[in-house]
Amino acid sequence: MILPLTTLWIVPLIGAAVCSMMGSRSKHAALIFSAAFLAAVGIIGLLQRPTEGLLVINEIGPAWAYGISYRLSADSLSIGLIGLTAFLNLICVIASWELEVSAGYWACFMALSAALTGVFLARDLFFFYIFWEATLVPMFFIIGLWGSSNRLHAAVKFFLFTFLGSVLMLLALLALVSAHHRATGVWTWDLAVLDAGTLGSAAPLVFWGLVLGFAVKIPMVPLHTWLPDAHTEAPAAGSVMLAGVMLKMGVYGLLRVALPLFPILSWDALPILGGLAAFSTIYGALCAMAQTDLKRMIAYSSIAHLGFCLLGVLSRTSQGLTGGALQLVNHGLTTGALFLMVGFLYERSHKRGLSDFGDLASRAPYLAFFFGFSTLASIGLPGLNGFVGEFLSLSGALSALPVLAFAGMFGVTLAAAYALPAFQAVFWAPAGSGSVSAKVTDLNYRERAVLWTLSGLMLWIGLAPRPWLAWFEPALRGLVR
Amino acid sequence: MMIPLGPQAALATGVLGTLSLGLMRRPPALALRALALVAVVSSMIFAVWAPIGAFPSLIILCDAKSIAWQCLIGLGSLPLALWLDGEDDVLVALFLGATLGMSLLVTAANLPMLFIALEFMSLPAYLLVARSRPGSRGVEAAIKYFFAGGVAGALFLLGLSMYYADTRSLAAAAALSPLGQAGATLMAAAALFKLGAFPLNWWLPDVYEAAAPEVSGFLSTAMKSAAVLFLMRLCELAPQAKFAAYLPAIGAVTALVGSVMALRQERLQRLFAYSSISNAGLLILGVGAWALAGRPADGVIALLFFLVAYALMSNGTFAFIKYAGIETRAQLKGRGAMLFAPSVAFTILLFSLGGVPPTGGFIAKLLLLWRAVDANLLWPAVLGGLSALISLAYYLGMTRELWFEAPQGPEPKPDSGAALVIACAVGVVLLGAAPWLMSSFSGVPTR
Repeated sequence: MILPLTTLWIVPLIGAAVCSMMGSRSKHAALIFSAAFLAAVGIIGLLQRPTEGLLVINEIGPAWAYGISYRLSADSLSIGLIGLTAFLNLICVIASWELEVSAGYWACFMALSAALTGVFLARDLFFFYIFWEATLVPMFFIIGLWGSSNRLHAAVKFFLFTFLGSVLMLLALLALVSAHHRATGVWTWDLAVLDAGTLGSAAPLVFWGLVLGFAVKIPMVPLHTWLPDAHTEAPAAGSVMLAGVMLKMGVYGLLRVALPLFPILSWDALPILGGLAAFSTIYGALCAMAQTDLKRMIAYSSIAHLGFCLLGVLSRTSQGLTGGALQLVNHGLTTGALFLMVGFLYERSHKRGLSDFGDLASRAPYLAFFFGFSTLASIGLPGLNGFVGEFLSLSGALSALPVLAFAGMFGVTLAAAYALPAFQAVFWAPAGSGSVSAKVTDLNYRERAVLWTLSGLMLWIGLAPRPWLAWFEPALRGLVR
Repeated sequence: MMIPLGPQAALATGVLGTLSLGLMRRPPALALRALALVAVVSSMIFAVWAPIGAFPSLIILCDAKSIAWQCLIGLGSLPLALWLDGEDDVLVALFLGATLGMSLLVTAANLPMLFIALEFMSLPAYLLVARSRPGSRGVEAAIKYFFAGGVAGALFLLGLSMYYADTRSLAAAAALSPLGQAGATLMAAAALFKLGAFPLNWWLPDVYEAAAPEVSGFLSTAMKSAAVLFLMRLCELAPQAKFAAYLPAIGAVTALVGSVMALRQERLQRLFAYSSISNAGLLILGVGAWALAGRPADGVIALLFFLVAYALMSNGTFAFIKYAGIETRAQLKGRGAMLFAPSVAFTILLFSLGGVPPTGGFIAKLLLLWRAVDANLLWPAVLGGLSALISLAYYLGMTRELWFEAPQGPEPKPDSGAALVIACAVGVVLLGAAPWLMSSFSGVPTR
């Protein structure tokens, strides 16, 4: 073993502490530590990979009271999502390089990455919960301190809503651990040991408690109302982390906790959960169509995209699961790029309404190119990453419950119906009288570098998805029905 | 050196010493403050050394709970001991007297002794409230407090006489007729009164709002801890009593009512008074779960942990109110940047009160609700979790005002006591590392 798993969350945490103490030099510290974080993920993910392809690394500490113990484990799904976290964190630091913000900004981002990494690593459910909740605090401050006009309301709403889900999840976990103790006499929070069979008749209650906790985070309609506010009011980099990684926690929780513990109950719940997921794709797309604010539109599109992920994951077929997992990464890349570009627009013009611009393509050709590229990736153009994820998710859903797949396909069509007109209105339509397009300058080298990286990845996944699918497949094999 | 009644002796010496010093024309302020501090600290030290086992007289008992609670009361009253105005010898004597009453309450072995200790604790507390803040509001609150306490005392006496008429016993009794049941219920009502359980909570916000912040901190921690043990002793003395079955529901409702009522409060001390009602609700739920589960040791640990965490959180928040010299939520706006370190500490305390990990407040709520889930009290636990969620709305709201909003009004003139706020926050963070600490508690299963 070259690096212990603990490194993965300790490095950004130390980064947060260093950033908070460095004053005006803190962004340099943030850059160094995010690069180190990404390097650590690379080392663990690529070099420590056992030859059989399945990556399982464990790290176990001593048992404390009530069987709580510090247990980390990582498989390819965890490492993939931690890689996404580290990558987007670095992107966020570079993208916000010229913002005039205090040291706390950088510290919050590093702390957020540390907590997110902990969620993806924890195998002890107690630590899973602690990390899960710890993600809320830095994001609360990111939205509240550096967000836009309505940030105060959005920050509190975000925290309360997602905390509601977590409390339900915690009660479900407590019931599970207590039942396990009553049946076996052993206190444990170890995910690999806990047996939901000990719950008896309380099992459905516990299952739905967990699912509700995860569904708030995903978010699944009708528990989504915190998302548009939080995404719209957060600073651009905050939206990237929120959409890119924090929403993935919900799907990860389903994949890691709810589905393995309750394989039969979750299959029985497919009509309800899958129905809500399909409804989310359509509802999110319809809401996105009605928005006049670019950022809010992308926020609603996230609800639709996560609906696809869920459809794939819930289908419990090999292609659905790997497609859903890949779609988690895809959504992080494309939506991240879109949020960043809206952020760049907002920095220049302090506007982000659809009707505030027009004819931007002639003024900012690079921005137009990247925005168009990401929009096409987002709506699932073949050859780009979105297509692979959506296609596999939907084909998984088709073999599980065909009705859901048809509903999902309707959602794909709707995606084009909101994304393309928005792209057209901002970049090609003639500028209206209130247009602020004149203030918009084209992207500078730093911004282009960030977007080239993101677009390159989108193209790579789109053209050659096989290594990516092969990366995720071993971790999900056990969940196939 | 094991001295029976050591803690009580230390506190009584403090009271007598203070009163003697008060006979001088100008009592030396420093000596009075030192005396208060030494009395409280030595009561904690003596408590740890106290010999375990009941005394032959059956009036006083000394068990693991009384020792733990003795230390808890010391922890809750230390901030006030540090802060007392040494110019006022009567105030010091009242404070030490109330603390002595609490420490008698936690060692009382039978029902009359419980009653005497209850009154011993309450009478100085009324005067403490009246004297801690000059003006008519303090007196008004003290009178209200006095009447509420009088009702509680009367309920207890009535219950005691009914209980005695039924069982011919002033201590534990096995079987109870309906008369004895009614008596036990009335005695429990007195304890619930002291804790501020719904619907017996009407006096509490007025009192906590009118008293000086540090006195409210003292009442909400030390006094509340003593009242929790009071309720637990009643459950022990009358194990057949039926009131225990209703405690979880009462606790859950109290927790909800406290959280909901705190939502709309503008004055900080009143808000934290309702927050203290909400926390008392969780404690009552914890006592109920403990009593219904057959009074296991880990139920006591959960209550104890909650009380320790709450002693830090409540004293810390009231200390911040005193330090920042503010009264309303509007005055919090923009204070974060002006009073940076204490505000960070206050924010940590708020998150802890809201039960956000990784803080002591989270572990405390977790342990307590877990005991409830374990005792098959799922719905009270869900309601308790809901109340924690509602309470987050105003804790986050205060965080928002402190950090995110632009300052209004004049520059704050900070008082002393920043170190205390920070110390409480550090304590809460350390308690958040509870899995490490918890394994060292005796009686907690480690596997």
